[in-house]
Amino acid sequence: MIGDPLFDSESIAGRVAAIAAAISHDYSGKRPLMIGLLTAAATFLADLSRAVTIPCDVDFMSVTSYGDREGIVLEQEASVPLEGRHVILVDDTVDTGLTLQYVVKRLLERAPASLAVCTLLDRPHRRIADIEIRYRAFEVPDVFVVGYGLDYLGRYRELPALYAHGTWPA
Amino acid sequence: MAVSRVLFAHASEAELARLFDFYRVDWQYEPRSFPIAWNEQGRPIEFFTPDFYLPEYDIYIEVTVAKPARNSRKNRKLRLLRSHHPRVNVKLFTRRDVERVFYRLKRAS
Repeated sequence: MIGDPLFDSESIAGRVAAIAAAISHDYSGKRPLMIGLLTAAATFLADLSRAVTIPCDVDFMSVTSYGDREGIVLEQEASVPLEGRHVILVDDTVDTGLTLQYVVKRLLERAPASLAVCTLLDRPHRRIADIEIRYRAFEVPDVFVVGYGLDYLGRYRELPALYAHGTWPA
Repeated sequence: MAVSRVLFAHASEAELARLFDFYRVDWQYEPRSFPIAWNEQGRPIEFFTPDFYLPEYDIYIEVTVAKPARNSRKNRKLRLLRSHHPRVNVKLFTRRDVERVFYRLKRAS
């Protein structure tokens, strides 16, 4: 049995709506391209893209996971040209910021008109790379979080709320 | 610096070094000791040597593998370091921090 959520679906919907309103305002008259980092950000991006009130495009990219000998590389690049586009990079969690910084560098090489970062969860106490986060849904303490796209051993992505590690059975 | 050329004090440090390598982040292992206490003659009698320095970020990383209840000695040293060297950016990574960072990375795919 799962315990009380850290953030329930109403809280998440509220934050998604607020961020979507901010994006709709900030990018009024433009057509931003939202790029989600697979896999955990997919749920957040799906909700966010449907909540904005301006036209936008959606794409995904992914990076190699730790353990690959060659180090981090883009496993899947954004599939559309980025030159001149207003890109919003959507991540699930910013922790050390090292993954995000790598992705930001790769995106900037493709000459977007602008690049902003949006994250569902911000866990700043382990931050190493000082990345500017323009939109964040929640700042979380040092707890392991599952649900709403985030998994534990491949499970719990489908849960509609965010749960802290330890509130569900081992 | 290559992980294989460094004799780390603990496996968690080696693991963190491999993480930096994964991100192609330059790192130095224990490159500098900071005085944190002095005797009456003004000579330093105690030093603190953070485990890593990341030049790109100008940040020192100290890894602790002790349980939180046993971190008081290290926390004291960190407090003194921050007090006497306020411009030095140092961050403490616990074993739990290291484990969680790695779990997130491994599940990212």
